[in-house]
Amino acid sequence: MPVGTRILSVEDDERIRTAVRMALEDEGWVVDEAASGEDALARFDERPADVVLIDLMLPGIDGFAVCRSIRRLSDVPIVMVTARADTHDVVAGLEAGADDYVTKPFQPKELSARIRALLRRARPAASGRMQVHFGDLEIVPDEGVVRRAGDEIHLTKTEFRLLCELASLPGRVFSREQLLERVWGYDYFGDGRLVDVHVRRLRTKIEADAAAPRHVVTVRGLGYKLQA
Amino acid sequence: MADSTASTVARERRVARRRGSAFGLRARVLTAFATGALVLSALLAAVAYGLVRENLVRQRESVAVNQAYLNARYLRDSLRSTGVDVSSVLDSLTTTDGGTPVLVRNGVVFAPLGVGLEELPPQLRTTVTSGQPARMRFTLDGESRLAVGVPLPSVQASYFEVTSFRELEGALSSLGLSLLAAALVTTIAGASLGASVSRRVLRPLADVSAAAVAIAGGRLDTRVASIDDADLGTLVTSFNDMASALQERIERDGRFASDVSHELRSPLTTLSASIQVLDARREEMPERARAALDLLVADVARFSAMVEDLLEISRFDAGVARLDLDEVRIAELVMHAIDASTDADVPLVVAAGAVDCVVEADKRRLVRVIANLIGNAEAHGGGAVGVSIVAVDGHVRIAVEDAGPGVDDADRERVFERFSRGSAAGSRGAGAGVGLGLALVREHVSLHGGRVWVENRDADEAGARFVVELPVASEPTTAPDPGPAGVPAAQASA
Repeated sequence: MPVGTRILSVEDDERIRTAVRMALEDEGWVVDEAASGEDALARFDERPADVVLIDLMLPGIDGFAVCRSIRRLSDVPIVMVTARADTHDVVAGLEAGADDYVTKPFQPKELSARIRALLRRARPAASGRMQVHFGDLEIVPDEGVVRRAGDEIHLTKTEFRLLCELASLPGRVFSREQLLERVWGYDYFGDGRLVDVHVRRLRTKIEADAAAPRHVVTVRGLGYKLQA
Repeated sequence: MADSTASTVARERRVARRRGSAFGLRARVLTAFATGALVLSALLAAVAYGLVRENLVRQRESVAVNQAYLNARYLRDSLRSTGVDVSSVLDSLTTTDGGTPVLVRNGVVFAPLGVGLEELPPQLRTTVTSGQPARMRFTLDGESRLAVGVPLPSVQASYFEVTSFRELEGALSSLGLSLLAAALVTTIAGASLGASVSRRVLRPLADVSAAAVAIAGGRLDTRVASIDDADLGTLVTSFNDMASALQERIERDGRFASDVSHELRSPLTTLSASIQVLDARREEMPERARAALDLLVADVARFSAMVEDLLEISRFDAGVARLDLDEVRIAELVMHAIDASTDADVPLVVAAGAVDCVVEADKRRLVRVIANLIGNAEAHGGGAVGVSIVAVDGHVRIAVEDAGPGVDDADRERVFERFSRGSAAGSRGAGAGVGLGLALVREHVSLHGGRVWVENRDADEAGARFVVELPVASEPTTAPDPGPAGVPAAQASA
């Protein structure tokens, strides 16, 4: 972990905010705090963080809106904090642009592990080649660039890592568990919805028709694969 | 013997009751309408038939009698003059349709048209012979006939005239048939009117019944479309009011438990973060503070588990528990569940047939099931001694065994109830939860379409065995390609 990695923690409950800040600082992160969505956007504007931690239930601008606003400005990893893992909140948060989520009450150590996983660089393609082609799609892992028909496509870090993992073995089917482990660093207990929503997001960006994907294909009951 | 008789009686009574209830309101209305129409139309038909018949017969009789008297007078006048050919006189008689004359004179019978004297009723002959005119209905050759007898003493003769009622009978029987047909048509019309009326009347009830079924099935927002009827409208309105009240109540109850749990999660977040900060500095703490920190750590963990359990059970109560299904290899899942449980050293034995068993499962829930069973063994059975997985035709059974005192027969259902503690209760070890662990196990398992039960271990080993039985996925898919780095496949023991 690079020294001085800066986390912006957005949480309206002061006691939670303080306790989480102290625990995260113990883990070696630099923590900025914001008590509201408005505050968070102002601070992010002033000084972009390396990771953003957003509580979904905020007064005023809610966590989803903050997530979307930050996503428009930056591809920074976003972790959302939710009190309800079973509801639509998780999927809605991921669709708003979050990369991962933790459920209250979370262990700061576990949160740190999540953040570290999100900050990992994309692995280079297994073939060692500098670029990989899938039909009209061109991936350059080392530069973090994806082009479709020559035009550069903007992906978040996590979307890019997901694409690179799929591209590391073209045509090979990856199960949701494998992708959770390789992209998010989860062991057995990851939430498959992370993969599903990210695949969906990826498709809207790299597919000509996201409803009839040609590149990122679902293999029913097994997982996903990338093809030309 | 007595038992079997009693049970037969009970069964008959049940059957009778079922039959009674099967004969519904609609059928009863229909039957009442049909019966009413039948009785009324039959009565009207009978009365009409009777009146018409009496009228026609009387009319026909009086015509025949008049004719017979006219003929008798004509005969008498003709026979007075001597040397008359009786047969030709008889031939010249005018008779009503089918009328047949018979003349008896000085013991000689003149019967030109087939009907002879012997065929006339003897009683009539006797009366007429004794000088009394008479008439009588009788049946000859299957036909109803009227015989009129007139004594003609002045010429020593008796005159009989037999008239056939065949045409009248024919007319009457076709009238009867028409009336019968009319009665039948009326009955059918009555029945169909009854059917349509009952259907119209019962339609709101059918709607209400369908809505009740839907509500019982969990679709709490079901309502009945209001209808424009003073009587049934009230029913529909009250039903909808009841449904709204019920829905509100259920949602409020569900929301309350869920809201409470959520409210508790915020302070718990502060607590666990603060504990971690403290724990990182435990070396700097005096011994007493360290001991207090350990207590705090243990009980915050317990408290978190309780809040999770409460939240979980409130989701079941609110009917919002949904499965997030994946096809998972059960051996792999159990292995990971044991690793993540409070007792990661419990040995796992997977039977050969169960190694590749794939189950449609909500991983999070099944992991909780295993963790709760291991936690329960720890709290009440001195710790789990083993977990095993076997495949039993179409199902897979996961058994968690302990070497504790076991569970009494009487408690085998009760242990799965909420807030029940096993007979070994009283010992509130660190692992003891809020008493929802096994209740949640049962809820999770039944949500998967499976069963859970507890039994004693084999005779020579003390202790309880909790068994979870789950259906194996109908189409076992091929194992996902492990890829280059390869997620390890299920191992035989954890």
